[in-house]
Amino acid sequence: MTVMPVLNTDLPTKLSVRNLDFFYGDNQALKSMTMGLRTNKVTAFIGPSGCGKSTLLRVLNRMYDLYPKQRAQGEVLLDGENILDPGVDVNLLRARVGMVFQKPTPFPMSIYDNIAFGIRLYEKLSKADLDERVEDALRGAALWEEVKDKLHMSGLGLSGGQQQRLCIARSVAVQPEVILFDEPCSALDPISTAKVEELIDELSERYTIAIVTHNMQQAVRVSDYTAFMYLGELIEFGETDSVFTTPREKRTQDYITGRFG
Amino acid sequence: MSLYYRRRNTNLVATTLCWGAAAFGLSWLVMILGALVFEGAKGLSLDVFTQNTPPPGSAGGLLNAMAGSLIMTIIGVAVGGPLGMLAGTYMAEYGRYSKLTVIIRFINDILLSAPSIVIGLFVYTALVARMGHFSAISGAAALAILVIPVVLRTTEDMLLLVPGSLREASTALGLPRSYVIQRVAYRAAKSGLVTGVLLAVARVSGETAPLLFTSLNNQFWSLDLNAPMASLPVVIFQFALSPYKDWQQLAWTGALLVTATVLILSIAARTLSRQRTSK
Repeated sequence: MTVMPVLNTDLPTKLSVRNLDFFYGDNQALKSMTMGLRTNKVTAFIGPSGCGKSTLLRVLNRMYDLYPKQRAQGEVLLDGENILDPGVDVNLLRARVGMVFQKPTPFPMSIYDNIAFGIRLYEKLSKADLDERVEDALRGAALWEEVKDKLHMSGLGLSGGQQQRLCIARSVAVQPEVILFDEPCSALDPISTAKVEELIDELSERYTIAIVTHNMQQAVRVSDYTAFMYLGELIEFGETDSVFTTPREKRTQDYITGRFG
Repeated sequence: MSLYYRRRNTNLVATTLCWGAAAFGLSWLVMILGALVFEGAKGLSLDVFTQNTPPPGSAGGLLNAMAGSLIMTIIGVAVGGPLGMLAGTYMAEYGRYSKLTVIIRFINDILLSAPSIVIGLFVYTALVARMGHFSAISGAAALAILVIPVVLRTTEDMLLLVPGSLREASTALGLPRSYVIQRVAYRAAKSGLVTGVLLAVARVSGETAPLLFTSLNNQFWSLDLNAPMASLPVVIFQFALSPYKDWQQLAWTGALLVTATVLILSIAARTLSRQRTSK
């Protein structure tokens, strides 16, 4: 049973998911999902492990393409264009829809190159312009002050929290339109978590953001909309405040109050 | 309490046996290396590095054999290395889930453990017999065939060790697959890949059997790839079996040189792979 979302429909939708089914082999992980990500808003996905939150994110940038026997049916419209069409250039799509993962994944190269790497792929910039873009990206991720004197040291030498902000900077540097966060703070300490959350808040002025989290407080703190998923279905989707204060579904209430999951 | 004491005694006996077995094995190695260093060092002189292999009864060195080994090893690794690396890349990256990979891996394992004399015979039939004469190039071909499975195996293993998350992260930036492999996976596995090549060099630089059937030997200085060429292992083989004292001495010295080279390469490979894990 899927509840159709009751939302302020005046706001523009960046990404809309329509009747999406997803399969790992014969195993159905998403069941006719329908929902949308509002432009320049933060949408949080909550739900017990295995409910399909991460799977959904991996459909939105077609990351599942990397693996055999995974397939999606339905429609995912990015600015009206169905990204599940076989003709879509997945590399361009992934440049438009960036992703930050659960564990920090700095590349085995210098801090500077970690950022410059993605930029060089799409743009031919002079050294000075590139330097500026790298600095902007690092400032954007609140990391510049900590690393400006060691830009040429390996990105692997940073702390976990710094590495995660480096990865966020790297995603931001290629100027995507949507950023997907897959439990970005689950490997971080509370201080780093606070920094990343602050960052997500700032980024939402310019980007459309989706975040998967197991932390209810985090969902409340960072998101404008919340989607509660259970067993591959969207149970409830609405403005974060109303989902957490007056959930319409009993399962949502049980989950957010810690009665199951 | 008696249970405890029994266990302690069993432990003592087992530990002693382990120590004994290790010491027994190592003592042979030490004796072999000791004999090699003792006998080989006696013949070490500048002549070894500057003179060609002598006729029996006169003085000489191993210059042509060293040059021959170097040339054939370089060609063998230059041909076999890239082939193994490309095949390993296919297996770990593009064909990770395909049946072909399983088949290649199986065949490669056979090739890896095939006696090298079989490779020598194969190249003899395929190249030497058709060309009508022994040649350095067929020796290099035999070595290349020996290099491929070693490099292929290490390349695949090292690329499989690169975390999938790194691949996903670079894919998520919109990188095409070829970039992900060249710029991220190769870089992350770099020292492992170099180790594989070094191990292959170490393996082929001591090979005698395949060269006996292909490049044979040459008493004289020769850089002609289309002619027989001397190499350290074959010279050692021939000289060691000869009745002449000065040839036997050169064989010892040559064996010391080959062993030292392999040792240095192995240490280099170990050091590189340790750097990898400590990162």
